[in-house]
Amino acid sequence: MLAPILLVLMVFFVTLPLWVRSVPVQYNARSLLVRKVTTLVTALGIALVVFVFAGSLMLREGINRVLTAAGRADTVVILRKGSDAELSSAIGNEYIGLFRGPAQVSQAGGVIGEIVIVVTADRADGFGASNVLVRGMPPDGFAFRPELKLASGRMPRPGTNEAIVGRGISGRFKGIAPGQSFELRRNRPLQIVGEFTADGSSYESEVWGDLDVIRRSLGREAVVSSVRVRLNRPEDFDAYRQTIENDKRFSMKVMREADYYQKQSQALSTFLGGMGLAAAILFSLAAMIGAAITMNGAVAHRTREIGTLRALGFSRRSILLSFLTEATVLSLAGGVIGVIAVQLLSLVKVPIINFQTFSEIVLRFQVAPGVLAWSLWFSGLMGLLGGLFPAIRASRVSPVEAMRA
Amino acid sequence: MSENQMTEATKTAGAPGEPYRGTTTGTESIVTLSKITKTFFRGSEPIRVLEGLDLDVPNGSFEALMGPSGSGKSTLLNIIAGLDRPTSGAVRVAGADLGPMSDSELARWRSQTIGFVFQSFNLIPVLTAAQNVELPLLLTSLSRADRARHVATAMRIVSLEDRMHHYPRQLSGGQEQRVAIARAIVNDPKIIVADEPTGDLDRKSADDVLTLMERLNKELKKTIFMVTHDPAAAERAGVVRKLDKGALQ
Ligand SMILES: Nc1ncnc2c1ncn2[C@@H]1O[C@H](COP(=O)(O)OP(=O)(O)O)[C@@H](O)[C@H]1O
Ligand SMILES: [Mg+2]
Repeated sequence: MLAPILLVLMVFFVTLPLWVRSVPVQYNARSLLVRKVTTLVTALGIALVVFVFAGSLMLREGINRVLTAAGRADTVVILRKGSDAELSSAIGNEYIGLFRGPAQVSQAGGVIGEIVIVVTADRADGFGASNVLVRGMPPDGFAFRPELKLASGRMPRPGTNEAIVGRGISGRFKGIAPGQSFELRRNRPLQIVGEFTADGSSYESEVWGDLDVIRRSLGREAVVSSVRVRLNRPEDFDAYRQTIENDKRFSMKVMREADYYQKQSQALSTFLGGMGLAAAILFSLAAMIGAAITMNGAVAHRTREIGTLRALGFSRRSILLSFLTEATVLSLAGGVIGVIAVQLLSLVKVPIINFQTFSEIVLRFQVAPGVLAWSLWFSGLMGLLGGLFPAIRASRVSPVEAMRA
Repeated sequence: MSENQMTEATKTAGAPGEPYRGTTTGTESIVTLSKITKTFFRGSEPIRVLEGLDLDVPNGSFEALMGPSGSGKSTLLNIIAGLDRPTSGAVRVAGADLGPMSDSELARWRSQTIGFVFQSFNLIPVLTAAQNVELPLLLTSLSRADRARHVATAMRIVSLEDRMHHYPRQLSGGQEQRVAIARAIVNDPKIIVADEPTGDLDRKSADDVLTLMERLNKELKKTIFMVTHDPAAAERAGVVRKLDKGALQ
């Protein structure tokens, strides 16, 4: 991973004066502390930028987490050829048994066919409506996903219109919460009897009910949307895929479950991450200019002090390094504030439309060490760039001129 | 840099030494300027400040430089101290030819050879007295503990060992100037240059500072080159030179 390496490099740079020693670090540190208000305002500006920057990275991380946590390496998703998502795929019942044939299929785990639909539901808070993804699964569909955990209520009884709802959307829509019911179609209600979690994956933004009951409600008894197959080993994938995709009796697309979700998350994370980064870049320009103005003011204000240091024998390079360090430390301090503040975002839930299913999934800002490292690095970089010209200016101060002033 | 010399300095400090006048002993010069000119430009108009100036300062002397305001005293002092370069002419100080040195070589040389005392003290306001005095030592390879010892010694020489952790604004003008002197000697430089060191001080503080400079000259054998307006200050020096119309009279 690149971020930690860059961070180490930056920490090394910032502490460089401590090793080379010909830089009056004490002087720069004290100068920052003495100009409390300016230092704080500048640092807070940087903190804000880092907040936005880290926030957008955390959101991206959140998308990846939600959409890929559902994917397993030893599990295969089969869709009709030409479909990109479960929602647009249809596979006849008669094929399901054929998928079980090849030797790579785990006999214990098995094969499940599921139907995936979206229903429009009114938001519980009364502000409009959105799509909710409903998954109908056979009785062994629950056991097929060991990450499923019942958080409250009970499991639905097979063959009934009972269903459970993922914690992500539970309570966000009218009728979609334990103890309530909503209609798949006129007079075809699903009864929510429990709430589940699934490792924070996008499953937590779904409603899970009985395959046959749901298919019957919609008059689609003969088909499933997708089939999931558990393999003996992840390495068996290529062989299995060849067998199925080359079978002339049907025309199917075989994907690793992890790849399937990865692909879904890509569009979203590119979009959201891109927006966040664009905002962060705009903000960072402003913050960099802010840091530059602050440091430039500091240099102008301290011309005489710089002249004195030069007279005492500090070289241009020492002065350059010392002001660069001052700027970098200043904005790293802002970065630390921003990174701490951004932790609060992990408490926030973000509802968002998954482009692939047009249904709502609920994201969380996800903290990851890489995000923190990148953010700190980014804040240091802003200080470095913002401080560059003021530092160059400081290094050019002529001691003779400075003393005459 | 030389720890031994500094410890020696501590030993000799306070012990009454032989009256010492650089002029009476010096066969060897510590400063040799020949045919120095310095021309500034204000726009395209040249201001000839120094015009073919020669100067020999014997090792160990205490010299005062007087002259009308604007006559080029500070300019001359800055050239001796390696802070400014002449327009033409040769500068030899403490055995080194300053002409061919690069800016960074010159900075390094200054830190090892020159102690500066300025009219307006020029202490760094955000640093304590001790931290100000320590600054030149950051350019040496001394350990932290050694630096602390040198700082303590220098502060003792200027009788401010009880003001180590005061900030400049907590000190009187006279005390500030003594801290500046401590900073000037902490590196054990060969020459101390002082540009109107008593210019901003009241009579009493000025006398204290001058007495201190005299001691540095006599007891620590420092060569002192001092620009001054003050006749009482010039009186303390062994040699008084007058600068006028670009040359020494
Ligand atoms: N950097 C400079 N640019 C232009 N003129 C200067 C500069 N430095 C000094 N001078 C001029 O040179 C002359 C001598 O200055 P200075 O050495 O400071 O005199 P003194 O210290 O004797 O009062 C003055 O006329 C001053 O205006
Ligand atoms: Mg002057």
